Amino acid sequence: MATEPATEFTFEGPVAFEEEAKRERVAGLGPWALALRRLRRNKTALAFGALFLVIAGLCLAAPYWANHVAHSDPYKNHLTDTVTVGGKKKDVVKPNGVPIGPTWRGRFLLGADSNGRDIAVRLLYGGRTSLLIGVGAALSTALLSVVFGVVAGYFRGFTDALVSRSLDLIWSFPVILLGVALGTALALGGLKIGPIEIQGDSKLIPILIIAVVYVPYMARPIRGQVLALREKEFVEAARAQGAGPLRIMFTEILPNLSSTIVVFLPLMIANAILLEAALSFLGAGVRPPNPSWGTMIGDGVEKIVTGPHLAVVPGLMLVLTVLALNVFGDGVRDALDPRAKLHLEH
Amino acid sequence: MRKLGMRGGLLALGVLAMAFVVACGGGDNGGGGGKTGGSIKIGSVLPDEYDPVLFQTVQANEPLQLVYKGLVTYKDVEGTGGNTVIPGLAEKLPEVSSDGKTYKFTLRKGLKYSDGTPVKASDFEHSIKRLTFLGGPFAFTMAGIEGIDKYQAAKKPNADISGITENDSTGEITVKLTEADSQFLFAVGLANSAPTPAAKSPFKKSNSIPGAGPYKIQIVNPSREYILTKAATFKVPGIDPGKINKITVLKETVPKMTQDVINGKLDFMTEDPTGDLLPQVEAKYKDRFRLDPNPPNTYWFFMNHTTKPFDKPEVRQAVNWALDSRALQRVFGGRLQPTCNFIPSAYEGMGYKKIDPCPWGDPNGKPDIAKAKQLVQQSGYKGMKVTVWANNKDPRPAIADYYRDMLNEIGFKAGTKILDQQVYFGTIGTKKTKAQTGFTDYFQDFPHPNDFFEPNLSTAALESTPSFNFEFAPTPKGVDATLKNLKPKDPKDVSDQWAALDKKLIESGDIAVYGSELASSFFSERMNFDNCSGVHPVYKNDWALFCLK
Repeated sequence: MATEPATEFTFEGPVAFEEEAKRERVAGLGPWALALRRLRRNKTALAFGALFLVIAGLCLAAPYWANHVAHSDPYKNHLTDTVTVGGKKKDVVKPNGVPIGPTWRGRFLLGADSNGRDIAVRLLYGGRTSLLIGVGAALSTALLSVVFGVVAGYFRGFTDALVSRSLDLIWSFPVILLGVALGTALALGGLKIGPIEIQGDSKLIPILIIAVVYVPYMARPIRGQVLALREKEFVEAARAQGAGPLRIMFTEILPNLSSTIVVFLPLMIANAILLEAALSFLGAGVRPPNPSWGTMIGDGVEKIVTGPHLAVVPGLMLVLTVLALNVFGDGVRDALDPRAKLHLEH
Repeated sequence: MRKLGMRGGLLALGVLAMAFVVACGGGDNGGGGGKTGGSIKIGSVLPDEYDPVLFQTVQANEPLQLVYKGLVTYKDVEGTGGNTVIPGLAEKLPEVSSDGKTYKFTLRKGLKYSDGTPVKASDFEHSIKRLTFLGGPFAFTMAGIEGIDKYQAAKKPNADISGITENDSTGEITVKLTEADSQFLFAVGLANSAPTPAAKSPFKKSNSIPGAGPYKIQIVNPSREYILTKAATFKVPGIDPGKINKITVLKETVPKMTQDVINGKLDFMTEDPTGDLLPQVEAKYKDRFRLDPNPPNTYWFFMNHTTKPFDKPEVRQAVNWALDSRALQRVFGGRLQPTCNFIPSAYEGMGYKKIDPCPWGDPNGKPDIAKAKQLVQQSGYKGMKVTVWANNKDPRPAIADYYRDMLNEIGFKAGTKILDQQVYFGTIGTKKTKAQTGFTDYFQDFPHPNDFFEPNLSTAALESTPSFNFEFAPTPKGVDATLKNLKPKDPKDVSDQWAALDKKLIESGDIAVYGSELASSFFSERMNFDNCSGVHPVYKNDWALFCLK
């Protein structure tokens, strides 16, 4: 599984859009409209974006499937239950411990695990967990990165040195190693900072861990961009009009970072989902019995000989989701980054 | 001792050579025959500790009993004969006074530890001091020695234990007990009380203590690999010197080690194949796989009586009513034998008497969930959060998940906490952890019913930290007095009283027993399975008996 963001790029911002707009003779269109127009032309990106939406939609429909089709929940053991398949009653788990395989019917569509839990139900709920953590972690990363990047880039000097060295410190650890270390340490006692207390088995723990370990990967390019933006004429003008640092950051710099953040988000979500799966696989992410694709792969690997589908199915979902996000993310980047597009056209 | 294993002790009572026939598999077919020499590789989850006074698991006892032999030891033969106590570093079994309180051992002459240091009589007292001072899990087995209490109170590692006297020049060791103890001699046979050189056995945890035994150990990486090699200088009549020259033990996951044994990359695995691999292994590799009830063992869910909601008997009873051994049998891949007895069936005539009917319903039948729900309602704890503790060794997480689901069904909000196998028992055995409930098991350390009761359920067990008494209360009520009465006597003479104690425990509902496990032995094609599988009632597998084809 990937341990670092798959994509690195530089981004020039709205000034470049204007040049690009002139070149494409679509003057009058704003940069966002222009980007949307380019994205609409990229059928591959749209197809994969749609695939992601389908997967997310399926996962969101998990309770419906569980309650109305599978008649179970992701945690319910069915060790001594039976299920009727083709008119014959079959043990969900045989007395020798072998679980039922795919029935291709509503109940136990993809079979059961060794505790007699419905794999299809767990897969959908696991997807919700993975997506929740991926999106939550990516948004948290973006928030932290913007704060650190803007503060460091705008104030420079000692503040920049302090923030940059702190980010370097996090960057110096391999992502997985740092994630496993934090995950293991927080698993037992949870996290307690002042009045804020998070239990060790809370999904907030992997969200926070992933958010923290990925901050340098997003904060550093943002800082670089802020360093350039703060020297632009419009910032000088705002400063000359008496605007303070906070006002300049919010009204002049942040809007110019928005397209960068939008490009980063799908890629960060994909990477966060991958890291969550890796941490859960290693026992340092989502805590059992909560399902996630990572924990399901981890459980499935234990039974890879007799029940390969236990690991393959969540693995496939993971691959499709990450692939969809990456291809769509690349499409967004191409749409928003004229330099990249020019490069492609050459 | 062993969590997935433990063990216990017995008294000498004069009958010392008694072959405690603990009704387990096959007769003595010994380790006779088989090729000598060669090297093998074993897959394991590795020992919890390498220090002889601190370890407690089966995975530690299997190798360390080969490295640290006691004054007495157990016969290296398969089957029930393995329960026989024989002379170890002592030249013969001890002379025991008529009141059963004094034991006189004489050390064999010319014995040396693996590093060449001569074995001295005073080393035995040093080992008992370490065991006591460091609070080893089996310290309780030596608690009956005169002066141990004063030694503990002094809190000085080198203080004297008045009940142990020795003469280094003659090799004589005299041990005086405060009262007769029928498990004492069995405990002396454990590696935990084996003599080690005083100068090289500090009063702190150490992984480099030399021992006197047929093998010496080299720890390459405590959490990855260790190697046993034959100690050429160790030759003691009656103790099997071992047939394999070099045994390399590697940490692996259970599925991986199973595959590696199938493919011949490993020659043996200390663990049982995982649930869904078991049927495949059983079917395809009959010629090198076997299931045995050895060592005798019991599996149950502990319930901490000092934490809510298990401080109320209604809740503990509810768990017993709701327990479904049929479900757990599936989780164990069919290797679980459902029972409600705490004393294993192997102790027939030594304390085991089938409790029939079981007070909480037929262990092979459906649970009474309605009754359990009603009791939870009565307790006033309905809806309370409960954390089920277990370790990550397969199928423990699945057992914990079954238990979590069952607790939710009867009215709690349960979750699980899964720890690494190596730290699990130490964590839940520390009172401040406040582990509410969870998985535990106990494998025979030595063939005596007290081995199951005292370490797990008595007040004495609470004196060790970590403790095996996860209830953190003497269980059932009055257990200490009963044990005090029964301990001095040969279990065969008081079998009915042990059985009565077993019944009282189960009827109290203070713990939730669900069965005992059949242990597997799975070898590569290189190994001589027919003559050298080494299934042993005390060690699980006696690696000294292993040999190649």
